[in-house]
Amino acid sequence: MTQPAVKSRGPVAAHPVRAALIAIALAGLIACTLFVTIYDSATPKVGDFPFFYFYLLVYFPVMAIVLWIVVRLQKGLRTPGDETGEQRP
Amino acid sequence: MSNVNTTSFTIVVILFLLVTGAGFAAARWRRADDMLQLDEWGLGGRGFSTFISWFLLGGDTFTAYTFIAVPALIFASGAIGMYAVSYAAMAYPIAFIFLPRLWSVCRTHNYATQADFIRGRFGSRGLALAMAFTGILALMPYVALQLVGIKSVITVMGINASSTNTFVKDLPLFIAFLVLAVFTYVSGLRAPALIAFVKDALVYLFVLVAIFYIPTRLGGWGAIFSHAQTHLAAINPKTGKPNGVFLPTSKSTGSTQVDFMTLALGSAVALFVYPHTVTGTLTSKRREIVKRNLALQPLFAILLGLIALLGYLALADKVTVANVKSHGANAQLAVPFLVQHMFPSWFAGIAFAAIIIGALVPAAIMSIGAANLFTRNIFKEFFKPDATPRQETRVAQWASLVVKLGALYFAAELPSTFAINLQLLGGVWILQIAPMLIGGLYTKWFHRWALLAGWLGGMAYGTIAAYRSASPTASHWASSSDIELGHTVYIGIAAVLVNLVIVLVLTVVLNAVKVSNGTDETRPDEYTADPEKAPEPVPALAD
Repeated sequence: MTQPAVKSRGPVAAHPVRAALIAIALAGLIACTLFVTIYDSATPKVGDFPFFYFYLLVYFPVMAIVLWIVVRLQKGLRTPGDETGEQRP
Repeated sequence: MSNVNTTSFTIVVILFLLVTGAGFAAARWRRADDMLQLDEWGLGGRGFSTFISWFLLGGDTFTAYTFIAVPALIFASGAIGMYAVSYAAMAYPIAFIFLPRLWSVCRTHNYATQADFIRGRFGSRGLALAMAFTGILALMPYVALQLVGIKSVITVMGINASSTNTFVKDLPLFIAFLVLAVFTYVSGLRAPALIAFVKDALVYLFVLVAIFYIPTRLGGWGAIFSHAQTHLAAINPKTGKPNGVFLPTSKSTGSTQVDFMTLALGSAVALFVYPHTVTGTLTSKRREIVKRNLALQPLFAILLGLIALLGYLALADKVTVANVKSHGANAQLAVPFLVQHMFPSWFAGIAFAAIIIGALVPAAIMSIGAANLFTRNIFKEFFKPDATPRQETRVAQWASLVVKLGALYFAAELPSTFAINLQLLGGVWILQIAPMLIGGLYTKWFHRWALLAGWLGGMAYGTIAAYRSASPTASHWASSSDIELGHTVYIGIAAVLVNLVIVLVLTVVLNAVKVSNGTDETRPDEYTADPEKAPEPVPALAD
């Protein structure tokens, strides 16, 4: 469903844990903002911010960190032959 | 011009002249040997680094929708408007899944538009035409929204407000529009790319100052939120219902939770299917840059969340509320009036300029994206297959002007009470190409004629549903949500479901009777390829 699953079979099969982590990270990022019921509450208040508003604001820096980790993880997915496009058959 | 604040006005004019100069100078920035190539005019030479791409994509995705329409919705209806924040949060992980693949295959085959890709993947000119048509159509109301945003700032600044002559009244808008049109024509994508630096810096400055300073004038965030909560729960005497919701609910005021979720999901999928964001993405030099950029964009996107809350700040300021009321209760004016009342006039000038320039950058990229589609997938495909790169570029330049005129028509014709509907209407249409674009990036299983039929069904359903939506003030095009099965649902999501059902059923049928599914000129490895020599390790702006 996510990118690693459909990348050329080699790297995904070679790094199943890494590929699964990437899939979980991306699916989690989408699900945790899509399902509004998770954060649709005025409490607990964080400072003066009702939880609903605080959650949506804090989401962005958290997402940046998670996506950055995904970028790093994907680098490790690549097999040496995958590094450059010029080696295409 | 009697009630115009001279300081604000002067600062806006100076900053406007600055970006106009930058827009024209951009033609010489990172100059190529032959500028009359569509890759140069329409994609800035496809050589942008992470640094430039970050500013460009931020400038591309943050539009008058963000600065004017979203806070206006929150000002008027409360938490439902926060769907836009949820949408921005979802858009980046969703794009992260398919956008690198689109970049790779477009780079390998030198596709300039997403319709070029569809043509190559399915060997179908008809399907590519459907995509090009939809892209152009969907961008028109979106560009129109930029014009509405500029107009709301001009109105609050009071320029020519006393004039009763429509032409004189709209003259500043026409001037801004004309300048935009000319520098886009001359410099192509380099103009918005260079101006994006100015825009993003001004926006960051304006939002951070606003979000830290204004609450101190209004009794702090606690007071602002509790005021919003009280106001939204109060019963509006005209409708007999509460003014809005402070949290999306599943009870009392209708199922705002489902509306919230479908609006956010639909907008998020739509964002990176739009031609202007694809155009912005294809300017990146390497595949890795596309990914890094998506991971870094949330640092810009957090501004959207903060800007959204300006709607509550405006609600807590009595003067702003009174000003909006005296101007026909036009919620689009909430942020400009808040700025005017809260800031000294020199900083108000900077903030106004940030909003105006903020609308010009995406408007330019949108018209370029639409022009690329027209040139590659309509003009060259159907009228002049042997067009030279030079002719292509000329046609694209003219097409960018025509798109802007179309947008003017939308701005004039559609009710602007809720400008956010202009963007949501564009979303209803653009979502209908998502199955063929995103689906096509992963599999060739979908049948091309099934995709075309699904597109037609989704477009018809979405357009009719949007046209029929009425409100007390407008008989048509009044809302982008509709009631389906007892829930309020974003029409875009309902229409794309209709689309998908048609696609799935017809694909099974057509594959069973073995109707040809066209020749695929792409290979699986091209979707992860990264063709191009390693980038020069030079600082982004030095070259």
